[in-house]
Amino acid sequence: MSASVIELSQIEKDYPGVKPLDKVDFAVQPGEIHALLGENGAGKSTLIRVMGGVTKPNSGTITYLGKPVSWQSPKAARAAGIHVIHQELALFPELSVAENILVDAQPRGMLGLISNRARHARAAEILAQLGVDIPTHAKIDELPLADQQMVEIAKALVGDVRLLILDEPTAVIAGREVDLLFENMRRLRNEGVGIVYVSHRLEEIFEIADRVTILKDGQLVGTSPVSALTREEMITKMVGRRLSQIYPPRRAAPADGPDVLSVRNLRAGPRVRDVSLNVRVGEIVGVAGMVGSGRTEVAEAIFGTRAVDSGVIEFDGKPFERKLPKGSIGHGLGFLTESRKDDGLFLGLPISANIVAPDLDAITKRGLIDRKQERAVATRQIQDFSVATPSPDVKIGNLSGGNQQKVLFSRWSRIASKLLILDEPTRGVDIGAKVEIYRIVRRLADSGVGVLMISSELPEIVGLSDRVFVMAQGHVVGEIKGDALSEEAIMDLAVRSVEDRNAGMDQHAEPVG
Amino acid sequence: MSAIAMDIRRNRLMLSYLIVAVLLVLLAVAGGFLSDRFLTWRNIGNLLQQLIVLGMVSLGQTFVVLMGGIDLAIGSLVGALTVFLANFLEWRPDLVWLALPLALIAATGVGAINGLLTVVLRVHPLIVTLGMSSIIFGGTLMYRKEPGGSVPRAFADIAYTKVGGIPISAIVLVVIFALAGLWLQRTRTGRSIYFAGGDREAARLNGLPVDRIVVLAYALSGLCAGIAAIFLTARTGVGDPRIGVALTLQSVTPVVVGGTILAGGRGGVLGTFLGVLLVTMLNSLLNFVNVSSYYQWVIQGLIILIAVGIHSSRRK
Amino acid sequence: MTPLDTPMQRSQSISIASVFERYGLVIFLVALMVVAAIASPTFLRPANLVNVLTIAAPLGMVVVGQTFVILVRGLDLSVASLMATVAVLATAFKATTNEAIPMIFIAAIALSAMVGLVNGWLVAKRNVSPFLATLAMMIILQGARFAYTGGAPISTLPPGMGFLASGRVLGIPVNLITLAFLAIAFGIVLHRSRLGREIFMVGSNPKAAFLNGVAPDRVVILCYVICSVCAGIGGLFLLGYVGTVSNWVGQGYELDSIVAAVMGGVALSGGRGNVFAALLGVAVLVVINNLVLLLGFPIEMQLIIKGIIIIGAAAFYRTRLA
Repeated sequence: MSASVIELSQIEKDYPGVKPLDKVDFAVQPGEIHALLGENGAGKSTLIRVMGGVTKPNSGTITYLGKPVSWQSPKAARAAGIHVIHQELALFPELSVAENILVDAQPRGMLGLISNRARHARAAEILAQLGVDIPTHAKIDELPLADQQMVEIAKALVGDVRLLILDEPTAVIAGREVDLLFENMRRLRNEGVGIVYVSHRLEEIFEIADRVTILKDGQLVGTSPVSALTREEMITKMVGRRLSQIYPPRRAAPADGPDVLSVRNLRAGPRVRDVSLNVRVGEIVGVAGMVGSGRTEVAEAIFGTRAVDSGVIEFDGKPFERKLPKGSIGHGLGFLTESRKDDGLFLGLPISANIVAPDLDAITKRGLIDRKQERAVATRQIQDFSVATPSPDVKIGNLSGGNQQKVLFSRWSRIASKLLILDEPTRGVDIGAKVEIYRIVRRLADSGVGVLMISSELPEIVGLSDRVFVMAQGHVVGEIKGDALSEEAIMDLAVRSVEDRNAGMDQHAEPVG
Repeated sequence: MSAIAMDIRRNRLMLSYLIVAVLLVLLAVAGGFLSDRFLTWRNIGNLLQQLIVLGMVSLGQTFVVLMGGIDLAIGSLVGALTVFLANFLEWRPDLVWLALPLALIAATGVGAINGLLTVVLRVHPLIVTLGMSSIIFGGTLMYRKEPGGSVPRAFADIAYTKVGGIPISAIVLVVIFALAGLWLQRTRTGRSIYFAGGDREAARLNGLPVDRIVVLAYALSGLCAGIAAIFLTARTGVGDPRIGVALTLQSVTPVVVGGTILAGGRGGVLGTFLGVLLVTMLNSLLNFVNVSSYYQWVIQGLIILIAVGIHSSRRK
Repeated sequence: MTPLDTPMQRSQSISIASVFERYGLVIFLVALMVVAAIASPTFLRPANLVNVLTIAAPLGMVVVGQTFVILVRGLDLSVASLMATVAVLATAFKATTNEAIPMIFIAAIALSAMVGLVNGWLVAKRNVSPFLATLAMMIILQGARFAYTGGAPISTLPPGMGFLASGRVLGIPVNLITLAFLAIAFGIVLHRSRLGREIFMVGSNPKAAFLNGVAPDRVVILCYVICSVCAGIGGLFLLGYVGTVSNWVGQGYELDSIVAAVMGGVALSGGRGNVFAALLGVAVLVVINNLVLLLGFPIEMQLIIKGIIIIGAAAFYRTRLA
């Protein structure tokens, strides 16, 4: 075997109390596509940050192209030929596509000044090499998300790259774009570039990767050729237990109660074009689809934070007069949002304040907060949802991701007496907390609450939902239930309908956001 | 999405410039109507002569704001430098050649310290530069409470000399703005100011030396304050510790008027230049029609709000 | 990069830190007072202490208000200008008898509330950055004030106004009683009432606050109104202290009030702070200023020290609670 492009040995990363990386060995050969697998929180992103010079390991050695290195900054790693495509786009929305692609390699002309013409020519060349047609003068924030992702990928083709690291690049792209990405990855592999590929879509791993390394809870589970593992083996290694132990048993009989929520022909902005779905009392209904297919926007329209253009939303059998979140909350509707940190938690405030947040009325007497009451409510919820904390006065920022999520569940389940909308309910929590959360969701449903669950993690959609609606490009494209429910069936529906649509209409979508 | 709407979005900065430019013309025309002395060479010459001080501090502020910060120490720094220059030159009028570089180096150094403090302590630039402003102001006052010092004739001349009827200071200003624009638009370091201001974390992930860019922007702001102080001392002939007090906030107005957003990453020096022209001309016009300087304050406040209103409402 | 899974164990050290945060300032203040007492026998004399507190009272009132605004991620640079404007307004009645005093108060509070309303509206509804909105307001008020007075100081005031500064009830200076009343009233609002909870929620995470049924815009506007009203009242008391109305009454209070609040641990990033700790910040500030005088240092030294402590305090809280 030839010398590795990069070899990590016994890498450890410590944050106070957590160990995202615990003595991990990892090596990438030139000319291989090496998949990195693991659950959220397994340490993949930290490992990538270590390789890219964003994070310094506490101990362990990095050997790059045969020499020991210790990156001081992303700049150093980049200068040495390591290119990372991070999960979050590292783009400048106000600047042009060309400038973003050539961010640290702007071509210079006369007097050492940047040449505008050369910049656009070079950027166009790179985009052509990638195989996409994106105007180089456009500003990033005018582009659809998929095109933005392609620009991010294009940046990897600038300069001399020896190690290319891609962290979930296919989260927002589909179909033809994925094919283009894979084509280019294969080409680079044939040129001897070492590639690290992270994706939670196992079928992609089988399609493109040569070897696979699996991480779990910051530790190395193992490295092997992709062909040596089956899909089930991969999942079991990632999760550390069999699937049957993860999801609570589904309800015996299909729910046949009345609809708690019924949405018909909903249109709301550019991302929600035609959505019809329903949730019955005591039922868990999954909503699957690509990121950007309009799933979150549907939830926002129901909850009342997004203007509805047309269509009907019936709640509890009556037309729903949505008046801001306050009104929805009053009707017994809860919305656990996608981004815990951005729009869920009050990080600087205690757990108790986070729990009672949507229902201050219950603890207010004559305009003053009844602290005893607040504490009582919080203590009860903390017990009910087994949040690990010594006291409700602890600031929520000091809890683990899983416990934070449980606090949010305890918040919303208290007021969501009729319907609870969940958007990516297990993002960034470890498997132990996931299992608990799945049980909580099932318990809520069993108590008669309707649950509408949006998730990108197909295993969780399939494992937990009683019925699933699949969305693509703002439309509900199908409903799957009973024995027909499988990851393949969902992917099929989602991808096929996107391709049908693309074939049928001009692909120049409007800008996003 | 219509192509026209797309074009306007892309060129919204151009639109900002256009609006300010149109306002400038309107002001000039209004001035001509209101007073027959407004559009005379003499007045225009005066006007041009006044540009340099506000122009330089606003340029410095532009660098910092583009990079995503703010510099509230500019005014105190200018005041301190005028005190230094006037007193130094009173003591040794023959050492102009030494005094000027010293002032510029000191100014750049103070700016760099501002930048370093924000980078090292990771404290909000508002706090850092406000604190620095207080420190500089206090230090200057401890040295000289009242305006004083004097400058040699030859030095004073740089504020008043004209070439072909145009004040040399205005020429200097235009040249510096042109160089600054070229630097920001067409050099890698200049562009990195925009990158750091657009999204600092993204800039870091893209391998840009963000900390150095931050320090550089503040250092440039200091340098600009130094140049402003040289011309200000030459014009007034004294060092006045309080002369810069109002300058700090004045330096923000043209930046905002010119369409540079306070959050950083968007804008440019052309906008600031137009903003400086607009503010200077407006004040001059108000003087001409005998509006008290008190109302000029009111108007300046309103201008800021209107400018922010215009630029932000089109930013949807 | 903070890991998603932050450990439980840290709560222990955090609570120690927050104890230190709370009492650190007290310790610092006591230490300062000891130094002052040693350095100058005059410091602990009642006359000097009362003098220090009298100076502190109007600033304290402003700081109470400034705390509200900073808690919702804002900043009010117009407080000092408003103080002077309120003072000018008080003279506009050209009253020489005390009957006018209630009128003066009502007018001052009404003007202040309006100013706060405009500030808050600009910030919350028009998305103007608090810095620019209140900066513009500061300049506009300044211009309006000067235009009215023509720049000259005025001293036509009801004699009773002096009582606000030097009067005593049961031996306690009236301005301190007022400050205590304001601090307790607004302290209850902030730390005990539902509105206060909403303020912390909005400051901590405006988007989450909205999704939990709070109307962030309303809360933010209210904070600016409270801030301006506190500043307005502070202006009247400062006026009583100064006696004549110069157009610059209160100059520097915008910076001082921010310094004090930051020193008291009110985070500029919003959602964290305490009115009473902010008032401790005021005490530290005035004791330092007094110390500079007692030690015979030039008064300008106060500016230098102030500059150093605001940067130092901000850095301190940042590293403590990062």
